[in-house]
Amino acid sequence: MNNERFEDLKDAYVLDALAEDERRSFEEFLAAHPERQAEVDDLGAVAGLLAFSPEEQEPPPELRERIMDVVASEAAPRRERQRSIFGGLVGYLGARGLALGAAALLLIGLLSWNLLLQAQVDDLQGRVQNSQGQVEDLQAQVRDAQAQQTQTVQLSGTWTAQGADAEVASISGNRIILVADDLPAIPEGQTCQIWVIKGDVPEPSGLFQPGGTETAAPITTPIKKGDTIAVTVEPAGGSEQPTTDPVLSAEL
Amino acid sequence: MVDRGRQYLILADEDLISLVEASDSEAFATLYDRHRRAAFSLAYRMMGDRQAAEDLAQDAFLKVWRGAGSYRAERGSVRTWILSIVHNRGIDQLRSHASRRRTQDRIEASAPRSQPSEAFAETWRNSQREQVREALNTLPREQLKILELAYFSGYTHAEISELLSLPLGTVKGRMRLGLKKIRDFYDSRGAAVPR
Repeated sequence: MNNERFEDLKDAYVLDALAEDERRSFEEFLAAHPERQAEVDDLGAVAGLLAFSPEEQEPPPELRERIMDVVASEAAPRRERQRSIFGGLVGYLGARGLALGAAALLLIGLLSWNLLLQAQVDDLQGRVQNSQGQVEDLQAQVRDAQAQQTQTVQLSGTWTAQGADAEVASISGNRIILVADDLPAIPEGQTCQIWVIKGDVPEPSGLFQPGGTETAAPITTPIKKGDTIAVTVEPAGGSEQPTTDPVLSAEL
Repeated sequence: MVDRGRQYLILADEDLISLVEASDSEAFATLYDRHRRAAFSLAYRMMGDRQAAEDLAQDAFLKVWRGAGSYRAERGSVRTWILSIVHNRGIDQLRSHASRRRTQDRIEASAPRSQPSEAFAETWRNSQREQVREALNTLPREQLKILELAYFSGYTHAEISELLSLPLGTVKGRMRLGLKKIRDFYDSRGAAVPR
């Protein structure tokens, strides 16, 4: 394949519209010319937009159950394997290091090679532990968010009179979210908009769609005591100023 | 009131994927709930049949569960990655079974619409979908038709040429122009093509 052929086929490639032999040739050319990869990725992003265009469909709840049944059956054994692989690898490397150290003492000529291997083993152990640490950090964030939650403020309004339950919660000290149960549905083409009212000035502070049993939405404006949090129903995309009366509100 | 389940709701997709890689099934469930409509919508558009779409969506999401470690943030968003898995598996199935949907209209006439979504970020995703549809509306019908036959029905450019009785060069040209027009739509708005 040459550049001309590459140019001729790249659009079909990103649309997955090449025959198998053409696709293979194209990818061989790409492998030999990595400088063209960014161009193909950019074009691929455009083609990938087609995935967002179909009319929206709701899958049946049974699909979720089937998938989660499989996930549940695989999750625990997988976690066990991951733990034993990490532990086994650390243990194996430790035992191997000692064995290599013993061999080096007996064979003077291999001393420098042994020191090099030991350094590589230590580095690998560190990287394994770091990867574990990153995952544990994320899991800890989830736990800490619950433990560190220090402030909640209940919202009230016409929607709470209809059975909704809503509050503003401070998570990890500097993240504020609105959390709600049983919000009523709103007409198509509309959205819920959060406002932080400072003095008399409402600042747009987030959009969300209600519906279902649980809703969570970040409040994008920093808040302080004396501010008022309010929620109104606005046209899709939100408004610069509230156009309807609040359905939920609370003064901090 | 704010419980552990809610904490997952405020995690970014990239954080959830890392947790899925560590076999966190709750994180996976949150990802599924966030992206199920987009994935199933694409699956239905490709397969044209609800049962086949369910099978494709299940296949794709289990691949997400088992292959979370292969996600690369520099290549695009998690949503794009999930949809690319749906698309690739769908193309494989369409080509192996040699069964294709021929028109978009027939599918959309029979498809039930979804209910209003739950999470606030769905507002942004809905507007993203509307923006893409707006971009596609700028394409001449003959360019859109060829992009759809390739992307949703899995036809190669040679098969499209035969199907529509068009020279292969014309098919390739319309693919090129169609993709360019979509990119021009975003450029004209000063917006980056979403990844």
